[in-house]
Amino acid sequence: MTIWLLPALVCYALASVLFAVDFSSRVQRVTGYAVSMLAAGAVFHALDLITRGVQAGNIPVANFTQALSFLAWVTALAGLVLIVRFRIAVIGALVAPSVLIALGAAEAMAGGAGALPHALRSMWLPVHVTLAFAGEALFVLAATVSLIYLFQESRLKAHRPMLSGHGSIPSLEKLDRINYRLLGWGFLLLTLAILSGALWAQHTWGRFWSWEPRESWSLITWVLYAALLESRMTVGWRERRAATLTIVVFAVLVGSFVGVSLLHPGKHGGSFG
Amino acid sequence: MAYSLLIVGVNHRTAAVDVRERLAFRDDELTPALSRLKLVAPSVSEAALISTCNRVEMITVAAEPEAAANELIGFLAAERRVEPKLFADAVYRFEGREAVRHLFRVGTSLDSMVIGEPQILGQLKDAYVRAAEAGTVDIVLHRAFHRAFSAAKKVRERTLIGHGAVSVSSAAINLARQIFDSFEKKTVLLMGAGEMAETTARQLIRLGIESLLITNRTFDRAVALARTLGGTAVPLDSYRPYLKIADVVIGSLTTNRPTLTRDDIEGVLPERKYRPMFLIDLGVPRNFHEGLNDLDNVYLYNIDDLAAVTDDSREEREREAEKAELIVEVELESFWRWLSGLELVPTIKDIRANIERLRDAELQRHRAWLATLPADQRTHIEALSRGIINKILHQILSELRRNNGVVEGIYAADVARRLLGSEMLTAEVKAANPRVRAGDEEPDD
Repeated sequence: MTIWLLPALVCYALASVLFAVDFSSRVQRVTGYAVSMLAAGAVFHALDLITRGVQAGNIPVANFTQALSFLAWVTALAGLVLIVRFRIAVIGALVAPSVLIALGAAEAMAGGAGALPHALRSMWLPVHVTLAFAGEALFVLAATVSLIYLFQESRLKAHRPMLSGHGSIPSLEKLDRINYRLLGWGFLLLTLAILSGALWAQHTWGRFWSWEPRESWSLITWVLYAALLESRMTVGWRERRAATLTIVVFAVLVGSFVGVSLLHPGKHGGSFG
Repeated sequence: MAYSLLIVGVNHRTAAVDVRERLAFRDDELTPALSRLKLVAPSVSEAALISTCNRVEMITVAAEPEAAANELIGFLAAERRVEPKLFADAVYRFEGREAVRHLFRVGTSLDSMVIGEPQILGQLKDAYVRAAEAGTVDIVLHRAFHRAFSAAKKVRERTLIGHGAVSVSSAAINLARQIFDSFEKKTVLLMGAGEMAETTARQLIRLGIESLLITNRTFDRAVALARTLGGTAVPLDSYRPYLKIADVVIGSLTTNRPTLTRDDIEGVLPERKYRPMFLIDLGVPRNFHEGLNDLDNVYLYNIDDLAAVTDDSREEREREAEKAELIVEVELESFWRWLSGLELVPTIKDIRANIERLRDAELQRHRAWLATLPADQRTHIEALSRGIINKILHQILSELRRNNGVVEGIYAADVARRLLGSEMLTAEVKAANPRVRAGDEEPDD
């Protein structure tokens, strides 16, 4: 636990409240404050990670809780980019509390500093882990956007549309397009993560692939996301169906992330995700 | 003689449309009419004229409101060449505070036929610009209009009065915008040429759709409408292939049974790669089968559904109108305080400070000579000069204070500020001493 943790949690908590207010009160816009608070949280969180990283001599992903904290940070960062780039403040109302809970849970469960296994101390580690987590963060956001899509879609179908206020939800078409882009970039990063992992394994253990649990599950999620993207392009599974499938595949991803880390860490080091 | 704000006019609540039509001015008629108003209504000191399809109002500042109101009614009758008795019963009259409240309520659309409609503010701004061109607005109306605009802005920012759909067609447009992000590559298919369908199509065209297809029972009508709107006419027996590319379909055909069935749409969805379709059924009886709404990525709204959306947003607008009334009251209070002369204090301060500065500048100019005098004479000269300006200031300021609370006071203060305020004196001070610039402290001696 570093001194930066508390300010990071406080900022994330305030950002969660501000995003919720921004969405529910349709007159007073506080988007700017909410975004700034999320950004401030990410900065404090980064300082926390850097401090731990300096102590560990590498990126701080020695155990599951550290990995969770790192993933939460990457998600906050990607969420910020998404909110600003596509002007969809509404996803902040889901991303900020998710990051808060993930970081809070990571700290609550934290079991000491946790030394990095010797075999993993390598320059491959930051490359591989950053690619993997950036990919996963984009999948988190894709699932978030899909949830919002389904909410908006069900209201339109039920002939109970949201009255168009200031804090309105983007159009279905826009949400679908953002979802597609997030999936595309996430898939690319996941692919690179798997490739870098294979090269690293070849370098360290002399084998590209050893069918250990983490590797197998990565491959399974990779296939699922590939299928998700493929179905859109060939049979046109877009819009509602794509949103539902994005959430289903994400559930598999979360299950494997948590399950493998806690049950079958395998060679993927101590217990890190 | 007491000046007061005075509004005389008719609106959608007091006069029928045929009366309003006969009283309405064209935009280019406003400025010359206002110039004539000055001649025929001598007790009116300031005037503006707003004319829309829902209201014709003369917004003025007048001495003798009673006489002025009759002059204004006479003026309107003469301008529009109608008998005063045609509209005399429909005329309303607001004076003083009530007039300001009315002006603010008009600007914030609280007095509109459809509360929250956005056009009125632009129309009020035009009225102000025309009056400024005619030279019939002075300090009171300038201020009153500007406060009305700023009240309208506050209402827009702080309430949802302008949100939601005011009509069936705008409800359809709002929904289309919740489904589609951009209309650049969208195709709209108009089935039937009903009036509401046409209005909706026009709004979609304004959003920048790529193409418009029109089909109708009488093909000639489809061709004619296609020519007006810039679309393509398609015969009614061969429109089906176009469903594949139509993103919005608007139905307003007169039929006994639904023209579009579930099979029609289900068949084209895979070819469309399940891109969303928005079906707007404005037909009575229904043009589109109700089950269409159950298809994935197909959104069907019939005229009742749209009316329900409109009602929801009307309820919301009415709730928001209450907030808007409060904002109007606050703005009214602040304007009234200004008009009642409480803001005379800054004017008085400004004049006093500037006259003091003028005196200091004069003393500066003669400081070389003053320095040669013995101290007691120098003190004497300073006291003398201060005495003179105090006498003059007393005269002016007591006159301003005496007028406190009436429009004349505002006029007097305006004149006084123009004659003795900082702008005039800046030039004087500069001439007296080139080193002293506007707003600077006096240089050290």
